[in-house]
Amino acid sequence: MNPLEDLLQSRPGEARQLLPLLQLIQAHYRYLPEEALRAVAEKLELPLSRVFAVATFYSALSLRPKGETVVKVCCGTACHLRGSETLIASLEKELGIKLGETTPDGSHTLESVNCLGACALAPVVMVGDETHGNVPAASARHLLGKVK
Amino acid sequence: MLNCQSHLDLVEGLIDGQAVEVARDTTILAAVRLLNRSVPTLCHHEGLPGDGNCRLCLVEINGRMVTSCMYPLRENGFVVETDNEDIRRARAFVLEMLVDRCPSSPRLMALAAEYGVTPEERFKGDDDLCIRCGRCVRACEINGTAAIGFAGRGAERSVTGPFFTAPDDCIGCLACAAVCPTGKIVFSEKHGRRSIWGREFEMVRCCECGRPYATPGQLSRPEFAANEICAQCRRRLMAADMKRSFTEY
Repeated sequence: MNPLEDLLQSRPGEARQLLPLLQLIQAHYRYLPEEALRAVAEKLELPLSRVFAVATFYSALSLRPKGETVVKVCCGTACHLRGSETLIASLEKELGIKLGETTPDGSHTLESVNCLGACALAPVVMVGDETHGNVPAASARHLLGKVK
Repeated sequence: MLNCQSHLDLVEGLIDGQAVEVARDTTILAAVRLLNRSVPTLCHHEGLPGDGNCRLCLVEINGRMVTSCMYPLRENGFVVETDNEDIRRARAFVLEMLVDRCPSSPRLMALAAEYGVTPEERFKGDDDLCIRCGRCVRACEINGTAAIGFAGRGAERSVTGPFFTAPDDCIGCLACAAVCPTGKIVFSEKHGRRSIWGREFEMVRCCECGRPYATPGQLSRPEFAANEICAQCRRRLMAADMKRSFTEY
């Protein structure tokens, strides 16, 4: 059976399963393929416009493939003051992409977030599921090396 | 005392000092309008469920500011104020943001003038007639096929067909354009073809007068079933029928 079918089967066909299903699909494909959104709409008997609205509302969901590792740089007030901008610039240079983009080999996606809620550790960066605090701007290479 | 409906379940209170009695769960907005008092609204539409999107209908109930289109009157002894300095300031603030986005909407500019608001040069962006009130989205859900919806969030929010393309499910019923408060949603009808949302529909002609009057998608809906004549002809024929029945008896 194809993986999309498996994912769809794992949840009952109720409207309230929309977000959980989209999260499962996002986790599996690292994005929401168009045919998957159409299949979800059909299974949950929801208008495609509603499924699309939810799919584009949450920043955890994406219509374009994300990298294997998502690097999230906190740009909250405390992190901003403690140099998150410089950090982003050095990560951009290290990865060869701009903020919001994914490396051509699909290994990394660089994102900014508004606040990770750990202001005392500013500036904060999440690499995949790992959170790093007090990150010096010069440590971009080190930060990426950790997960390689 | 103004009595709105002969309903058993009533609540009473004051609106701008006037005693009123309305059916429980009447919204403040509906109650205020029964008194012929005006509250500005953009996202509210009589035929659609409330959504509280535009934040213009702010009023005070028991000293607390709420959106009147969404607030049901449930308790006796409510005290509603529809116009005071705080309310005008709050509405003016909402209008400031709206006119900065849509300075080309005559309706918005008229409201803004009423509240002494002018667009600010420093916020000048893309002039966009859409105020994200969601009337079209609600109308499409209720009267149409839920073909269009919102996409994105915050400043990026927009109304679109799925995947930012012309909506496949659109039947060209024009419900969205009919309820749009700013005239953002446009359509055209030329040579028997109707265009809207990047879609084009060959229109069906009225079998009485021969004018194109609806799309096949519209006529396939149950509420239109067996209507092969346009609204004007239908009214004309009904009137003629009625006249005949009156003259016969």
